[in-house]
This record gives sequence, C-alpha cells and structure tokens, in this order.
Amino acid sequence: MDPVKFIVDGKEVVTTKGTTVIQAAAEAGVAIPHYCYHPKLSIAGNCRMCMVEIEKMPKLQIACNTQVAEGMSVLTQSPKVVAVRKAVMEFLLINHPVDCPICDQAGECQLQNYYMEHNRQESRQEVGKIHDRKKTIFGPNVVFDGERCIKCTRCVRFCQEITKTNELAVINRGDHSTISLFDNAVLDNPLSANVVDICPVGALTDRDFRFKVRVWYLEKTPSICPGCSTGCNISVEAYQNKIARFKPRQNDSVNGPWICDEGRYSFHELAGGERLTMPLIRQEGGLVPTTWENALQAVLSGLRGSPALAGILSGRNTNEETYLFAKLARQLSSAAALEVFYQERELTETQRILMSPDRSPNFRGARDMGVGSNGGFAGLLEELASNKFSSAYIVGEDLLGADGEKIRSALQQLKFLVVQDTKLTETAKLAHVVLPAAHFGEKEGTYTNRQGRVQKLNAAVICPEGARQDSEIFLRLLDGAGHKLAYSAPSEIFSALTQEVAAYSGLNYDSIGEQGCELGSGGGAAS
Amino acid sequence: MEKVLLRNIGVPASHTLSTYQSRGGYASWRKVVQTLKPEQLIEEVKASGLRGRGGAGFPTGMKWSFVPKDSPKPKYLVCNADESEPGTFKDRLLIEQDPHGLVEGTMIAAFAIQSHTAFIYIRGEMAFGATRLEQAVAEGYQAGLIGKNLFGTGYDLDVIVHRGAGAYICGEETALLSSLEGGRGWPKVKPPFPATHGLFGCPTVVNNVETLATLPWILERGAAAYSAMGTEKSKGTKLFSVSGHIARPGVYELEMGYPFKKFLDEDCGGVPNGKKLKGVIPGGGSMPVLKPEELDKVNLDYESVAAAGSLLGSGGVIVMDETVCMVRAALNLARFFAHESCGQCSPCREGVHWMEKILHRVEHGGAQSGDLDLILNIAGNIAGNTICPFGDAAAWPPGAFIRKYRDEFEAHIAAGKCTVRN
Ligand SMILES: Cc1cc2nc3c(=O)[nH]c(=O)nc-3n(C[C@H](O)[C@H](O)[C@H](O)COP(=O)(O)O)c2cc1C
Ligand code: SF4
Ligand code: SF4
Ligand code: SF4
Ligand code: FES
Repeated sequence: MDPVKFIVDGKEVVTTKGTTVIQAAAEAGVAIPHYCYHPKLSIAGNCRMCMVEIEKMPKLQIACNTQVAEGMSVLTQSPKVVAVRKAVMEFLLINHPVDCPICDQAGECQLQNYYMEHNRQESRQEVGKIHDRKKTIFGPNVVFDGERCIKCTRCVRFCQEITKTNELAVINRGDHSTISLFDNAVLDNPLSANVVDICPVGALTDRDFRFKVRVWYLEKTPSICPGCSTGCNISVEAYQNKIARFKPRQNDSVNGPWICDEGRYSFHELAGGERLTMPLIRQEGGLVPTTWENALQAVLSGLRGSPALAGILSGRNTNEETYLFAKLARQLSSAAALEVFYQERELTETQRILMSPDRSPNFRGARDMGVGSNGGFAGLLEELASNKFSSAYIVGEDLLGADGEKIRSALQQLKFLVVQDTKLTETAKLAHVVLPAAHFGEKEGTYTNRQGRVQKLNAAVICPEGARQDSEIFLRLLDGAGHKLAYSAPSEIFSALTQEVAAYSGLNYDSIGEQGCELGSGGGAAS
Repeated sequence: MEKVLLRNIGVPASHTLSTYQSRGGYASWRKVVQTLKPEQLIEEVKASGLRGRGGAGFPTGMKWSFVPKDSPKPKYLVCNADESEPGTFKDRLLIEQDPHGLVEGTMIAAFAIQSHTAFIYIRGEMAFGATRLEQAVAEGYQAGLIGKNLFGTGYDLDVIVHRGAGAYICGEETALLSSLEGGRGWPKVKPPFPATHGLFGCPTVVNNVETLATLPWILERGAAAYSAMGTEKSKGTKLFSVSGHIARPGVYELEMGYPFKKFLDEDCGGVPNGKKLKGVIPGGGSMPVLKPEELDKVNLDYESVAAAGSLLGSGGVIVMDETVCMVRAALNLARFFAHESCGQCSPCREGVHWMEKILHRVEHGGAQSGDLDLILNIAGNIAGNTICPFGDAAAWPPGAFIRKYRDEFEAHIAAGKCTVRN
C-alpha cells in the first residue's frame, strides 16, 4: 500500500493511502471525538462531532469520512474546531433528559465525557424538550430509552451490517426521529446485546445488568469467555466479589469488538447457584462433609491402581489444569482413558458469525495436552454407559444431561467415582468423593481456542473459602501419589508444559499478553 | 424574447404526443441518437452555457463529463421532479403541460452519459403530473421513441416514472437517490459523489426538470442561439415562479439578467391594493430575503442576485407587502424547515426546530432579550456543519430576516406580542 505523509496538529505522520483522518490521527496518538463513527461499521457521518480543520479547505470536514492525502495538514484543536464541537455537544443535549443519576450508562457515557471535555456550558435551551419513549423493550436483553438517543445509528447499522437481521430502523423525521423495531421485529438475534456496547450513550441498556451496580464500582479483569471454543476476549466485571457482567474486549484476531449473547450471560449459570465449600464423602446414608485431608486420601485409595479409569475433564479446564490432570491420571492408573467434555449442536447462520458449535472453550488445548481417546468424548461416554470402566474422575461437568439415565446407572455401578465441581450437580450426588472446586472466573491460566490461539484467563473473583483451584487439587493428589512437582503457580505449570508439549515449546507465559498468541506462528514464542 | 421553456404552454392539448410532434417535438432526440456521439452532445451543451436549474446553477455539460466513461457499472440519469421548495412551482407547470418536452430532455441527457435507464422521480403530491408523465412515457414507447434499438441504432433506453412519498428533502439529489433505492429519504455523506457512486452505487447524474426541458431547444437551435441570450455567466432563459402580494402571480420565462424591479413592477403588475413592498425572497424559501431598497440594482441572474447577498436558487419569487409580519414570515419558514429536516445529522435535526421554538415565542410572547442573538448563533452553528445543504437552507432565512428587520423583531420582544398584525 502506498505511504502517505500528512500532518496532524503540526506533527508529521506517515500512514497508508485510503486511511481516514480519524484513523490516521488515532495512529498518531491524536484522539478525535466521535459518536457515529465505529471502526467495524459503515461511515454514517451524522453526529458531526469529528469535524476538523483541513488546510486549504474553507469548511470544516468530518474526520471519519475524509481520506488523508499527501501533505494534508489537519488541525484538531483550532478555535473553529473547538467551537464546532461545543456547538454539536449543545445540539445533542438540548433535547436530552440529562437523567444521569438514574442512567446505567453514567460513568461510561460519551455524552458525559465529551460534555466535560468539549462543552461545559449552561443550557441555553428554555423552550421545552422533545419527549420520546422511555423504557421500551427491544428484545430479551436490550431496553431502549428514546430520550437519551442521539441518533448515531450505530445500533441500526450493527443489525444491518454485522448480523444482517435488520431489526432496527430510524422512524419519523427531524427532532422526532427515533429508533424503532422494524415491522414488529424483536431484537433477539444471537448477538443482540452488542448494540448496548456500541451505543455511545444510555439509550440502549442491558436488561440483565440494568440497575445492578454503578459502573465505577466495577472491578474489571481481562479474560476469555467460557462459552465456546471461539474464545472471545472479554472483560469480567465484578462487584463485591460477584461477577456483574461480561463486556467484550476487542481482539481483531478473534472476536473483533463483539461477543455473543449466550457467552455474555453464561456467567449466571457457571458462577451462580449454591457453591460447594467442603469436600463430601460417601458414607452409609449418603454424602457427608469431610476434611480435605480425608477426602484426598479417599480419592487416592479409591483410584490408585484402578484397572480401568475414566478421566473426564471440563472443556473449561485450563491448559495447566489439563496438563496436571493427565499426569495424575497416568500416575493413578496405567489404564486411564482421558477425555474432555465435547458436544456439538447446529448453529444458525447468524450464530456462526461468532459462535462455535461446542461449549468447550479449551477443547483444543485439552487435545494438545494429550487428553483424548480414540472414540472421542462421545465414544468414551458410550464406553462408560456400557460399564467398561471400574472407576471415574469427573471434573466440572454434569454428565446427567438430556438422556442421562443410562449414564446414571453406569455411574452408580462404578467401584469408585470422584466428582470435582463447583456445585452439587446430579453427577456429584452419585460420587464417592466430591471435591469443591473453583470456577472459570476464579482461576488464572490459559485456554487454546479453536484456531489455536493461546489466550490468558485471569481470576476476576476469589473462590469461596473451602473450595480449591483444580490445579491445586491435582498437585496435592500427585504429591500423595508419589509424584511431587516442584511448581504450583499457573505460570510455572505453563512453562513446564512448554517443555513437554511440542506445539507449545518456546511460548512464554508473560508474553501471551492480553491479546493471546497463535500456536506455531512464533507470535508468542519468546525464544 | 423567444420562449424556450414555455413555448408549448397554452397550446391546446400540449401534453399529447401528436401536438408535441406537430410542433417539432422529438426531432432533437432523433438527431441526437442518429447523428451525435455522446462527447459531441456534451460539448454542445457545454457551449450553450446551460447551468442547472435545481438551485445550485452548476454547469450541466460539465456535470455530465464527470461520469466515468469506462465504468463497467450501469449508468443512470435521474430527473429531479420533486419540486417542493417553498414558493416554487415552475417544474410542475412543465410536467403537467409539456410532459413530452421533459421526457425528450431526459432522454437527451441519458444519451450524453450513455445511460440505458432513466428515472423521473416525481414528488408524491403531484399525482396529476405523474399521470401526465406516465401517459407521455407510454406514448413514447408506443411510437418507438423510447425502448430498445432506437431508430435502428442499437441504442436502448428505458424511462421509468417513480413517485416519491412526499418529502422536501427528497429533492436533495442524494436523498432522492436513497429514496429511489427504496430506502429512507436520507442524504448521503459525500464523498463519494453521485457522478461515480450514485444510484445503487453506480455512476449517476441528477438533473432538474427545467434543466432537462431546455435541452430539446438547444439541440434544435444550437448552442450559440442559447448562449446568445442572458449575461456573460448566466446564459439563456429561466423560469420564475412568482407568488405572494403581487398583482399577477404565476410562472414567467425571462432572459437571464432581466432587471428584478422592472420584472416585479411591470411584468407582474407590482404590489396590489396600493400597498408598499416590504421584502422579496428571490430564489425560493431557503434563500435570504431582500429589502425593497436592495432591489434597485439587482438583475435576475446568478451573479447579480448573489452580489446582493441572496441567491437565485430555484427562481421562486415570494413577494411580501407591508402588512406582512416579518417575524411570522420567518417563523413560518422555520416551521417548514423544522418539519422537513430529515433528522439525520445533529446540527440540523436539533437546531432547526430549536430556532422555530424561539421564533415562536418572539411572535407569540415570552421572548427574552437575548433570543435574537441566540437564533443568529444557532443558525451559525448549523450552517456549513451538516451532511447536506438543507442545513444551510434552514439556517439562512431566520438570519436574514433578523438582520434586515431587527427593529421589528425587537419591538415584538418588547411588547411581548406581535406588533404588526392586530
Ligand atoms: C434541501 C434541498 C432540496 C432540493 N430540492 C430540489 C428539488 O425539489 N428539485 C430540484 O431539481 N433540485 C433540488 N435540489 C437540488 C438538487 O440537490 C440538485 O442539485 C439538482 O437536482 C441538480 O440538478 P441541476 O444540476 O439540473 O440543477 C435541492 C437541494 C436541497 C439541498
Ligand atoms: S440507540 Fe444508541 S446506538 Fe442507537 S442510534 Fe441511539 S444513541 Fe445511537
Ligand atoms: S462466541 Fe463463544 S466465546 Fe464468543 S462470546 Fe459467544 S460463547 Fe463466548
Ligand atoms: S442537513 Fe438536515 S436534511 Fe440534511 S442530512 Fe442533515 S438533518 Fe438531514
Ligand atoms: S464521527 Fe464523524 S460525523 Fe460522527
């Protein structure tokens, strides 16, 4: 691509031909305020917030739709530009209700932010505001407040251009223009809640998150969605040690700026409900609490030398956990069959924009760690159902799903069953020993997504007292089984596995960073 | 002066093919298709000096020449028959009384850019005109003047009459194209421009009815005959729609450069009932008003009206006598623009109605002393900062009214009510 030299606020910058002024300025570290512009959507040019002065052009131009030209000189802070931003902010606010105290967007609202940066004047509008619909349900996850809407049309363009589902449209004219469901549609496409993220103001809010927490109290942790093997990058946002929401975290190699609704709300299922906080052991009359010491001893004596051990991991176990589990299972039984939970389903065209057919974010990683059998997960489940195993160790998955009856009777017939999970699932109720574990949001480690990208999970909340990290449990059992390892932190486990797993050799835990690194690309290889 | 545009108006059954052809109609069309190369046609129209009559006065031949010749995409010629500018009703006369003249002109322009599909986008409210055009097009097809392999040359051209749904903004050429594409009547962000990315993303020329209706005459009589009329930069003749407090309202065809005052006083019979003239809008509702004392040196051509601080625009001349309350006139226009703003871009969507609401309280009571400066400031914040020129069109009139009749506005504010009427 041809290089183009241009000047922004006196600073000379080189960029490529076809780049817009707003992008090129951003590359040079100059942020131009904007509402309607979104890098993944078509140019609308309607908010007029991004106007800049361009040498030799009599009128100000919008930076989002103007391409750089050789030698072009752009001013983003000239008196004319400052004045027009102030004017545009005023226009956007004259009919806005300014109901920030009861608006979820407060604290992350571009109207608030830009008002402080570019306007800061008292209202000159005394002739009555236009009223519009408040609290209008657009779909299962999204609610619309017409008075707060600045008609940037990002939401409309998202539904036209990204999901191609066209649920939203602009109706009416002039300052009565508003966003509406088109032709009685419902905004329920599989990516619908992304419109909340791209709405620059509080017009579209998340029905799930609405009125839960003021956003400035949220603690944000970069992590990976546990929903499927796409491995969308997310920010896990917590309040008082509880996950309050997932937000997408942009990664153009994976999910761009989006996540799917299923993933977005998956934490309710995965992190909610009553947690196990004590190990349980089977005695006559059922499961009773016991100490970790006793529970681990029972596991060792129950599984050691097992003639046929089925080891089943969750698709949400990290590479580090999986690596340890494989070691442990082999230590316990020379005849261990290892599998990771994996089930596929049909996806619609819109789902396929982002989603993978499975629900196992680290399926690929588990395979890389040597977890896998000839018949795959389905084959192993069949073997289990036909009583091929004497004992089983099941981590983080409830296997008694839809047609669980065959599995139930098979599990009941096992000589020894260990279940390690966050909750007392139907599967756990059948166990001889139940070990309380941490969920995805409480752990650190790595997932390898479908395309072979190693990405980092971080603990967003602290696991309840009494429960333990899966890796810690595996390490203690390994120790008890006579295979003490000299490391324990995820970073240390990771560097150990890079020594053993060829595909991961050369990778460095710290250089995975917030955007991950691709296997075999050498991208993350710090060697 | 010889009539170019109104030559068939008033002739019995002027709208029929037989009448039109009996007066020489479609001879130019036949000549163009059979004997001219597109480039020759463009040169001829360039030489005539014809400028677009839709308001902006852009040279027509030059506009055509921006259409890329080597584009693999289809090209479109679109006739803008959305005429909705306040005080403008000249296109309607042509459409209803001389539809074949428009169809012929449309086809000539289509040939110039080698388009094989031409659209005539007509304002929804002009139901009668649309019917006339549809009849004319049907007659043209029947007579072999429109359609495939015209005059045996292999050139194909379809003409499609499309009725709009009735919005002023759909007269703005890119909003028209959005509407014609089946979308909301929203102007498009430029660049790209229609010449390269117009209708359905294809090279497109949009021309006004009057512009196109001039073409058959130019082809018949030659560029030189046309450019012999008018002034140095404003060639030929132009239609003026005259309305308001005037003895003989109507549509007039004048040679460009005709003295404005003479036109109003002599041709149009002046202000009736012994009243005095208070103001004139020369170019349709979106153009700045002129005071009587500003008219003396003004001639009706683009340059002269611009020099007086207004614009010739569509040639919609709105005459106001001394009984008119200028606050109410400004309010009336502001209400129109607030209602017609498409609502796409922030300054126009929010600002135009805001101005209307302030003007409303100047006229009806409750105004504050700073209101006039506030309106001027809002108008300044809109003009030049919008997606399409509607923003300017909406911002100019209140500014001009306030600057030129400020005493009257101040008096309203001081009195807390209208000081002109009752
Ligand atoms: C708000 C607005 C309304 C317009 N309305 C009309 C109209 O009704 N008819 C028209 O021919 N041009 C109208 N125009 C001008 C068109 O955008 C365009 O310039 C014109 O059709 C081009 O034709 P011409 O080159 O023959 O003048 C309007 C422009 C604006 C900004
Ligand atoms: S709802 Fe939000 S995203 Fe949609 S147009 Fe309004 S402000 Fe923009
Ligand atoms: S596509 Fe998969 S990884 Fe991405 S948000 Fe949805 S469930 Fe999560
Ligand atoms: S200036 Fe007015 S009419 Fe033109 S695009 Fe903007 S809002 Fe619409
Ligand atoms: S960001 Fe450029 S006009 Fe909105």
